[in-house]
Amino acid sequence: MIKIQKKDFNIDIEIKKIKLNYSNIGATSIFLGNVRNVNENQKVKFIELEVYKDMAIKTLDTICLKAKKKWNLIDTLIIHRYGKLNINDKIVLVAVFSSHRKDSFEACNYIMNYLKKDAPFWKKEYYNKKYKWL
Amino acid sequence: MKIIYFAWLKNITGKDQEIIKNVNLKDVKSLKKFIIKKYPKLKIHFEEKNLIRVAINLKYTNINIKLNQNDEIAFFPQVSGG
Repeated sequence: MIKIQKKDFNIDIEIKKIKLNYSNIGATSIFLGNVRNVNENQKVKFIELEVYKDMAIKTLDTICLKAKKKWNLIDTLIIHRYGKLNINDKIVLVAVFSSHRKDSFEACNYIMNYLKKDAPFWKKEYYNKKYKWL
Repeated sequence: MKIIYFAWLKNITGKDQEIIKNVNLKDVKSLKKFIIKKYPKLKIHFEEKNLIRVAINLKYTNINIKLNQNDEIAFFPQVSGG
């Protein structure tokens, strides 16, 4: 499942919703990305995330399908936020569900790497008196 | 065709999207040329390898594929999500 949304989410609730559909999940690996207060020695006040939503959904869907071909996975979940995000806010959640940990660990890393490389999101970081597109 | 610009490209074009009706724009190469002529400040960025990525109908392309008048073409810099 892919969700691109402005609003915050609750990790436990999101994981639970997926697990309700299965009884064979033995391993869940998650990656959670948050907004940091410092980047390249500059104090960050907040960030804005822009997204090409339709393409992001398609791209992330393709990445998950590729992961499912490489590893033995039961399900995947990606939630990526956009809009204004403050320090410590959640940015992205990648959760991978499998029977055994090796599949979920490796697939989670794979999905996150390709998300960083290909998913059409752009960060705009705001500092004290200026901003920068990353 | 519908052209969409993201991130700092919008600062240069002054808009996030536009409809271009020009039957002479038959492929990505001719569209890029047209865009650069319209927004000369984009030239340096297009010339810098891999700085601006192109997506046709939600799919990345790095080759000079043919375009249709109802295509959606997006131009954007390197992505930075996650």
